[in-house]
Amino acid sequence: MKYIREHIMFIFPLLAILLGIESYLIFDRLTTNYEQDLKKDYSILVVSKKDMTLSDFQKISMHIGSIESIKKRAIVDDMLNGMDNVNTQDIIKALPYFYTVRLSSYLDAVSISKIKEKLSRNKYIKNVETFGKSHNSNYNLFVFIKIVLWTFVSLMSFTSLFLVVKQMEVWQYAHRERMQIMEIFGASKMLRSGVLLRRAIIDSLVATFIASILFLLFRYLWIPTSGIDMLLQKQELLFAYTDLLILLFLSMLISIVSVMVVVMSSKESRL
Amino acid sequence: MSNIISVSNLTLGYTGSESDIIKNTSFKIKKGDFVFITGPSGSGKSTLLKSMYGQLKPKSGNLIIGAQDMSKVSNLKLQELRTHFGIIFQDYKLINEWSVAKNVVLPLIIAGYGLDVQETQAKRLLKHVKLTEHADKMPLELSGGEQQRVGVARALAKNPTLILADEPTGNLDEYSSNVIWDLMENACQQLEATVVVVTHKIPNIFSIPYRHFIIENRGVYEVH
Repeated sequence: MKYIREHIMFIFPLLAILLGIESYLIFDRLTTNYEQDLKKDYSILVVSKKDMTLSDFQKISMHIGSIESIKKRAIVDDMLNGMDNVNTQDIIKALPYFYTVRLSSYLDAVSISKIKEKLSRNKYIKNVETFGKSHNSNYNLFVFIKIVLWTFVSLMSFTSLFLVVKQMEVWQYAHRERMQIMEIFGASKMLRSGVLLRRAIIDSLVATFIASILFLLFRYLWIPTSGIDMLLQKQELLFAYTDLLILLFLSMLISIVSVMVVVMSSKESRL
Repeated sequence: MSNIISVSNLTLGYTGSESDIIKNTSFKIKKGDFVFITGPSGSGKSTLLKSMYGQLKPKSGNLIIGAQDMSKVSNLKLQELRTHFGIIFQDYKLINEWSVAKNVVLPLIIAGYGLDVQETQAKRLLKHVKLTEHADKMPLELSGGEQQRVGVARALAKNPTLILADEPTGNLDEYSSNVIWDLMENACQQLEATVVVVTHKIPNIFSIPYRHFIIENRGVYEVH
């Protein structure tokens, strides 16, 4: 019973950290994905007096990711559909250049209006029009949750780390006599702490396993019956299998660092 | 024979305490010597022994073990040095969560020997101290005398050059004490190890030549 309790006291704070981190990863992915969707729908139409390249646009704003030139011929053909005896070459020559400009990342309304202003101020650009959805409430909510979650995860991780180190100190106290005997016979700090390290690694594996199972249940059992369309559509983002490796790496790192902190802070019993 | 322990003008005391336990004492112990250090309770016998295995740093003077000055030894060097010692304690200092066999091979575990060597040595050592049938037991399942035999076996595990024993029979009856003295005599003769024993009283049954130091008025003097 005591043995199980000792492990639980270590696994619980570690699990809390892992759940927090995984929640943050999920929200980060959802937000990024949503941002990508918005970015795809968003474009700026630019009318210029001269032929411009992507680097010309990027000199105006570094947030411009790609440009697409609209063929003048297509515009003219569209305009003159059904009309006879018109010199299309002259019209094409007289027309300015049209570009669809896309951004490299999704920006807030203020930044977009600044880009629009910079483009409009350029001497070769005659007109700038923006199309697409602007910031919507979902996106703002996602960003808000992400910030709240980050704050919460940071605080929770800090508290849990404190508990992990405390538990490690309890272990160290419980193993003090053994460690002292080993020290007298010349064992290194690392060898003396081998038991702590072994326990910490086992508990890291257990905590990672529990956290992964909880998120897999969330993804495959709860979401399909939840009726939340948005999450159903983005189900693949809810627990990526690579997250398992991230969680395992983090839990191992936390455990090993905690053991090191306790071991390094313990004084040699030399008087 | 060259000296394994050289003490000159040694003063020992605990941090925070102004009074010295051993003051300005000098003596030498040669390789292969069997040495008894006696003295009344509180005279500083255990303190002197602690300084020999590096648990207590000298306040002043020199304490040289092998070629190592114990007042200047680093923690890393001390670790290495201790692997050449066999140490026996009055309260046995066995690891109660480990089996008897594992306790015996602790010095081999520390030295990084493989399981096969550990197993062979555990069998040999336990046979030597007549505890073969107790190999898988836990220390607390054994009597005091048996636990001290485990302690002696552990001290001999890595063929130490120096055996330090702090009141090894202090908690034992006469029969068990005689067994322990017998084992230590054998160790000194067979391993050619230097043995330093701190004790209240030199046993009557002792048959090999030995040197006798006594601690009196904070000084260490050879009497025999």
